[in-house]
Amino acid sequence: MTTMRFSLVLRFLMRDWRAGELRLLVSAVLLAVGTVTGISLFVDRLTSALLSESATYLAADRLVASTHSIPDEFSEAAARLGLETTRTMTFPSMVFAGDRNQLVSVKAVGDGYPLRGVLRIAATPFAPGVVIDELPPAGEVWLDSRLFPALGIVVGDIVTVGVAQLRVGRVLSGEPDRGGSFFDFGPRLLMRIVDVPRTEVVRPGSRISYRLLVAGSGEALDQLYRELESQLGADYRWMGIRDSSASIGSALERAQAFLLLGGMLAVLLAGVAVALAAQRYARRHYDHVAILKTLGVTPAEIQWGYLALLAVIGGVSTVIGLLLGGVLHLLIVAALSAYMPLDLPLPGYKPLLVGAVSGCVCLAAFGLPPVMGLKSISPMRVIRRDLADAGVSRWLTYGCAALGTLGLLLWYTSSWRLTVWSVAGVGGVSILFGALAHLLLRAGRRVGMQAGNGWRLALAGLARRRGDSVAQILIFGLAIMLLLIMILLRTALLDEWQAQMPAGAPNHFLMNVAPEQVKPLQEMVNGRVERMGELYPMTRGRVVAVNGVATKTWEATRREPDSGDPSLDSERNLSWTADLPANNTIEAGDWWSTNLSEPAVSLEESYAGTAGIKIGDMMEFDIGGLPVNARVASIRRVEWDSMAPNFFILFSPGALNDVPATYMTSFYLSLQQKAFLNELLAAFPTVTVIEVDQVMAQIQSIVSRVTQAVQLILGLVLVAGCLVLIASIQASGDERLREHALLRALGASRRLVRGALGAEFALLGLFAGGIAAFGAEATVFALNQQVFELSSRLHPWVWLAGPALGAAIVCGIGLWSTRALVASPPMLVLRELG
Amino acid sequence: MTTPVLVARRIAKVVALNDGAGEELVILAGIDLEINAGESVAVVGASGSGKTTLLGILAGLDTPSSGTVALDGHELTQLSEEQRARLRGELVGFVFQSFQLLGSLTALENVMLPGELRGDKDPRGDASALLLRVGLAERTAHYPRQLSGGEQQRVAIARAFASRPKVLFADEPTGNLDTVTGARIIDLLFELNAAYATTLVLVTHDTQLADRCDRVIELDAGRIVATRAVAE
Repeated sequence: MTTMRFSLVLRFLMRDWRAGELRLLVSAVLLAVGTVTGISLFVDRLTSALLSESATYLAADRLVASTHSIPDEFSEAAARLGLETTRTMTFPSMVFAGDRNQLVSVKAVGDGYPLRGVLRIAATPFAPGVVIDELPPAGEVWLDSRLFPALGIVVGDIVTVGVAQLRVGRVLSGEPDRGGSFFDFGPRLLMRIVDVPRTEVVRPGSRISYRLLVAGSGEALDQLYRELESQLGADYRWMGIRDSSASIGSALERAQAFLLLGGMLAVLLAGVAVALAAQRYARRHYDHVAILKTLGVTPAEIQWGYLALLAVIGGVSTVIGLLLGGVLHLLIVAALSAYMPLDLPLPGYKPLLVGAVSGCVCLAAFGLPPVMGLKSISPMRVIRRDLADAGVSRWLTYGCAALGTLGLLLWYTSSWRLTVWSVAGVGGVSILFGALAHLLLRAGRRVGMQAGNGWRLALAGLARRRGDSVAQILIFGLAIMLLLIMILLRTALLDEWQAQMPAGAPNHFLMNVAPEQVKPLQEMVNGRVERMGELYPMTRGRVVAVNGVATKTWEATRREPDSGDPSLDSERNLSWTADLPANNTIEAGDWWSTNLSEPAVSLEESYAGTAGIKIGDMMEFDIGGLPVNARVASIRRVEWDSMAPNFFILFSPGALNDVPATYMTSFYLSLQQKAFLNELLAAFPTVTVIEVDQVMAQIQSIVSRVTQAVQLILGLVLVAGCLVLIASIQASGDERLREHALLRALGASRRLVRGALGAEFALLGLFAGGIAAFGAEATVFALNQQVFELSSRLHPWVWLAGPALGAAIVCGIGLWSTRALVASPPMLVLRELG
Repeated sequence: MTTPVLVARRIAKVVALNDGAGEELVILAGIDLEINAGESVAVVGASGSGKTTLLGILAGLDTPSSGTVALDGHELTQLSEEQRARLRGELVGFVFQSFQLLGSLTALENVMLPGELRGDKDPRGDASALLLRVGLAERTAHYPRQLSGGEQQRVAIARAFASRPKVLFADEPTGNLDTVTGARIIDLLFELNAAYATTLVLVTHDTQLADRCDRVIELDAGRIVATRAVAE
């Protein structure tokens, strides 16, 4: 007999399976493969769905934006790469209907618009929208609901844009790329780009936003960017979803980081479950191996046999695990379909590969070492059971597990930094937790001397198996810690997202208010809107020189080459005020007093920093052809999140007396008060309203979906953690059960035994929970500081919830998973466990 | 029947005590022994006399600190664990005090095991025949935990003979059984031993049992203090 025949290995495997020896190990591998596959499939589909949905906010995958017409070479290059393209132009213009007129934001679109996302129309103004797969034909415009009462028109009427007469075809209720650019506020008029020349509104110097929308494969898009990069220069901006809206971009990035973290934790937990199950399997096979050896099976055959056995278990479990993962993710999708009306794209093959490889690596790294140690079991064990368990060295076991974990993490994250941090974190926490658990057990023993029967038994048991107890506290502690971290981070992220959009913050901007309209407008809105801000005068102008040096020359030496900020001489909104605005604080210099000898300006700190301008520098502006000189008097910090009008450049009162200006302000309107806008616009038709609430609603819908995904992953990790608890209790259960069977044989009541078991599990959970609370606070503090860049504080509830949760979960699962054996006659337990 | 199947020369077993002082415990000290094919030998002695260690070394389960053991002409101390295991499979059978059946296998599967490992054509048929012979034809599908101690030991004996051993080693085979059951087990053991013409090495402290063997070797503190032939 040279090698054990494979058929014999299979027969052993079947017998082990039938006897229930393999259930724990197979469940652990199934858990690993299933969880990882499920999470990967879901994350893969969700990420591509989120990305493609986010792409609809651009109406494209990428775009080139400019205030200049976009050269044909750009679209030709895109076409050569097989990419779809279309063009849009957005500009403010007056629209006339009879004796009424209204400032609108015109969007003129080319064929194929939108490349991503959909247009929605409504049957009548303000009615719910339905998707439409058409564009207005040439000669026709579609209008926002609000324009119908403002202009006193119905569908079918004729309106005038510039000099062109265009028919009102439909009520426009939604477009994908609403909001974002300065030019793009105000009620929408959608028309075809071919009609633009007829209107004659586009003249040299007109404020127009040109866009070339591009859609297609990621590779072709990257290639296009490489080809165009050198021609983009300062005039053309290349944008993806991450650039188009900072909030959406960072929400997506955080969601991915979070989902990734969730996946990593699930893998670690599954690895622990595999290790525990393999250890138990190996321990229960010591006698088995010793007997086989007396029957003539050689160590090499033992090794080969168990290797083959593990390979079969791995193969079969992986296939079943992949199926389970598929079902799991379908269940998740089905369960969330009501909350996540996302159209999920089909997954790629990668999640299946991730699941299969994870399962095999988990089994090899965590499961192989204890099982491979079986070959060194001495056959003398058949005579002397007390012979020490040969087993493998702990270093090999832990080394393999660490190596496997490291490999998997590196593969998932493709980031050394994240991997090293995670491993170092878990390693450090394990050492710390081990030490803490040791201390708690010692202290517990001392206290336990005075405790009642059940508790004394429990504490004595815990202390006697100190090594095992420390390991269990460590594992339970880690699982609960991960759970707490998830909850804390989720809360932290949600809080921050909500803080970005404070409740009741101004959600409407009024612009283009003429000086003579200021007073009547204030009288009209008074009491009709909430949190009405100050009315700031506003004009546009550019910086032409600093300290007598032309801006181009000035910037050449001071500006970071790739800062990405608009250059100093680009046109900006300018304002003036006597009082420092509410959300501004002075960082350097002094706010001006009333009697100034010369005009002064106050600059926002990042603007001043990028441009390299300091207090006392003299700036020369060109404001509509009028030269204005002003000295820098102060540098301000501005709370941009305040949603109030904020300015990079503020002048002292009187500095811009000769400059024509319009006024702007902000206020809050609830959804119910929204109809007031029609009244307001009817009275002041030239005033422009920016409905920030619509932009916010778009961002919030993305954020809420991301949050749901995060919660879901939290749930999956929790399930994985609970299964690890079961594996761990079962792995350590034999010895505990033997003792309690002995106790019962000696006359202890079932109640006492159950009480002692319950107390033991509760204490384990309590210690683990306490340590977990400590670890979670420390980890969240570090993550907030290093990764999420949020401020940190202590969470008192965690210190109560951690231990309570630990005791409840461990005690519940412990009693549940030992219920059958506690209920069986002690003789049977003793005989079974030998 | 004068060919020695088992020859031990000057076997010693010494283990270091884990007390850090470098002290040693002598378990066996210079054992010389020859056992002929077909002979039955009982090794007796008080607890701690070293009889179980001797059995382990003679069967190739353990190695002596010094000295040599030849089993059917194979010098065990010259062999690796790999080679010793193969030899055990070919030449040796065991019956233990604690039965040592595999809990996850039925009675029949336990008895089939040696045949399966050897790659026999019909391990099931052979095992069934052996179980019939030890009187357990009705209990083949039962797991060890569903069998009484006596029944478990009968399964263990059936398994031992399923290896078709040249030498059968038995370690206190009745130690866990009551007197009546023990007597029946011994009858069965000797009956099969005779039928299969096996050499029997038996460790026991039961003098009645020892007296059924051809020869009795008495150990004390790791040395042979007496050897006597038992009259038929």
